[in-house]
Amino acid sequence: MTKLPAHDMGTTVNAFRKDVRDWLARNWTPDKQAAHLKKPFNERGHDREFSKLMGRDGWIGVGWPKKFGGQGRSPTEQIAFITEFANSGAPNHAHTTSESIVAQALFLHGTKEQQDEWLPFIKRGECLFALGYSEPEAGSDLAALRTRAVRDGDHWVVNGQKLWSTGADKSDFMWLAVRTDPDAKKHAGISVLMVDLHSPGVTIRPSMALYSKTFSTHFYDDVRVPAKNLVGGVNNGWKVITDALAAERVMIGGGRIAGLERAFDRLTEYLKTAVVGGKALRSDPVIRDRIGAIAADLEVARQFQIRNSRLVEQGKVPIHEAALGKVFASELQERIGQAALDILGTGGLLSEDAASAPLGEMEQLLRHSIMGMIGGGTSEIQRNVIAQRGLDLPR
Amino acid sequence: MTTGTREAVSDADRELLRRSVRDLLTLRWPADRAVEQAGSADAIAAVWRDMARQGLAALGSDQAQVGIRETILVFEELGRAACPAPLLGAVAANIALAGQQSNTARALLEDLHVGQARIALALGGFDGDAAAGRAELHGDALSGKVAFVEGAQSATHYLIFTETGAAVVAADAPGSTAQPTPGLAVPPFCELTFDGTPATRFEVPPSTLKDVALIARLACAGRALGAAQRAFDMAVEHAKVRKQFGQLIGQFQAVQHKLANCLINLDGARLTIETAAEARDAANPDWKTFAASALAFASPALREASIQTHRALGAIGYAEEHEAPRHFRRVHADLARFGGVTRARAELADYLLGPA
Repeated sequence: MTKLPAHDMGTTVNAFRKDVRDWLARNWTPDKQAAHLKKPFNERGHDREFSKLMGRDGWIGVGWPKKFGGQGRSPTEQIAFITEFANSGAPNHAHTTSESIVAQALFLHGTKEQQDEWLPFIKRGECLFALGYSEPEAGSDLAALRTRAVRDGDHWVVNGQKLWSTGADKSDFMWLAVRTDPDAKKHAGISVLMVDLHSPGVTIRPSMALYSKTFSTHFYDDVRVPAKNLVGGVNNGWKVITDALAAERVMIGGGRIAGLERAFDRLTEYLKTAVVGGKALRSDPVIRDRIGAIAADLEVARQFQIRNSRLVEQGKVPIHEAALGKVFASELQERIGQAALDILGTGGLLSEDAASAPLGEMEQLLRHSIMGMIGGGTSEIQRNVIAQRGLDLPR
Repeated sequence: MTTGTREAVSDADRELLRRSVRDLLTLRWPADRAVEQAGSADAIAAVWRDMARQGLAALGSDQAQVGIRETILVFEELGRAACPAPLLGAVAANIALAGQQSNTARALLEDLHVGQARIALALGGFDGDAAAGRAELHGDALSGKVAFVEGAQSATHYLIFTETGAAVVAADAPGSTAQPTPGLAVPPFCELTFDGTPATRFEVPPSTLKDVALIARLACAGRALGAAQRAFDMAVEHAKVRKQFGQLIGQFQAVQHKLANCLINLDGARLTIETAAEARDAANPDWKTFAASALAFASPALREASIQTHRALGAIGYAEEHEAPRHFRRVHADLARFGGVTRARAELADYLLGPA
């Protein structure tokens, strides 16, 4: 396979990368891969048993500090890890929210008791969280959220509605942003609760999203949540949410870019030998120009990712740099999807389940790009961040 | 090729280099006189002597103690200052003639390093632009026509790449003419015609000539980056002080997003150009692919950033007394050279798909 040349990340990273590959070769076997591909698309990527297997062998919490039971790997090593997993297609999505976002918040804002209780649980791959942020009236303006939590003895009683939560129907717990002080200014009255989704009063309604995965609306009717499950102090939730997301945006971007590289590799591999209507596609100058343009863009996406991880390694928190990487990678996904349709013609419209599809997953990539440009902060919000935080333009 | 034996250059070293070049150019090539001075061969000769005193005329040679990444940083500063100092020809000569033992070669490089020689470069068949022409040696006589040569009007020598090596011609040699061809490039490119012109022949392997040609492309992209970044910085500052409809224009989301897009383009160009240069310095054989990526991205990205910068500046920015127009010219002139984006994309397609 001819891919864009790999960046030499140094000997430590390269050695670690080899460990990861060796483990994948032993544990993500062709048999498992074939069985995985037989599942409906909606269920792929999410595999509780595989998460437990990864947990058993120490592959959850690779980037966690050692004092929390992690491997203490550098951001660059974590990127290598994420890239190897994405390239393998192994189903490691089930635990990533818990591992990357919840754990990160617990490091910074959890009590000792919370850390002792939840981190080993997450690390074993047995504790699956989803994020409960958006509401009907609070999307980009997340701090406008209204789901209420009222203290009652040793519990918080939650009422409200959340929506657009990826994986909520497959998870056990919700990382729930709630309003605990309705009289405070909007950023000041928010708290974060860890809610057991099996609690009475929780209703989860999955819907199918454009990209063939479910996302959910969830309702809370007098749901009682133990007070010890509030993270980071009452009314301190905005800080908990933003701190956890800042560093993690970098890691999440890593998975996205690795996925794009994989899709692009498949497209170029196909083009090398495809003959349509008696003509070799790879000889078409328009196709070659388009492929060259995307290859350059992919290299840029990788560079943004490397810059972000280096910043984290230097102890900095990339804010506008992370926003910039997110905008670029998610919009590049859209360009790759569009290019695939143009290059493959009508055949590009066919899903991989269609017998005559020249190359599956391309139309799915395009459908998924819409979510990438919206979820986790829209491209427009990211551009606001770049302008206001990166260029210091006035609000 | 420069060897891989030099010490690694730190970010702090690079910052020092950038600072010293910027200080020199601020003094010798101030923004308010840059365009006027660009039309003066004497002014170009003078700034080149000053640069040589700082050791910049040796860039590309082992003597310079720095690599291509740092060389490109100096090109960025030249772009920023809109200074047409003849660095491109110098770097090319330092690399292409590095192994030459003849007295002529040594004398030329010595003159170059003290700022007495100013070399204009023509890549001929290695240019990448089909209309760039070529010249060939017959014995010690050069004949042919090469176009799009920068710095020819203020050069003391021309360095012309041929099929089998390089020819050096004195600018005042009989049988040579330099015809300016005005356009976006300032000072204008020239078309050089040779008719049995006496020249010194140097055997240089084609691999070295190709290497120099690719470095020249990266260097020009670096120069364009410096120009685009400077104009962009001015637009950002403008958006923080200019008021319309009772508010700073930088508060308008239309302007914010425009400038955010420019930053994406500028940062992407910078990171890929630096990565390519660093790979060249590390003798990484993949450096050509990294360079193709950098050029394929930077060419449209920096041109777009230049256009959007102008739109943020409004009519203030298209007055010729403003700095922005010179940067617009530089960005486009540098990025459309050597086959531009089309060639860079084709190189990536060759790498990924095999030859067409």
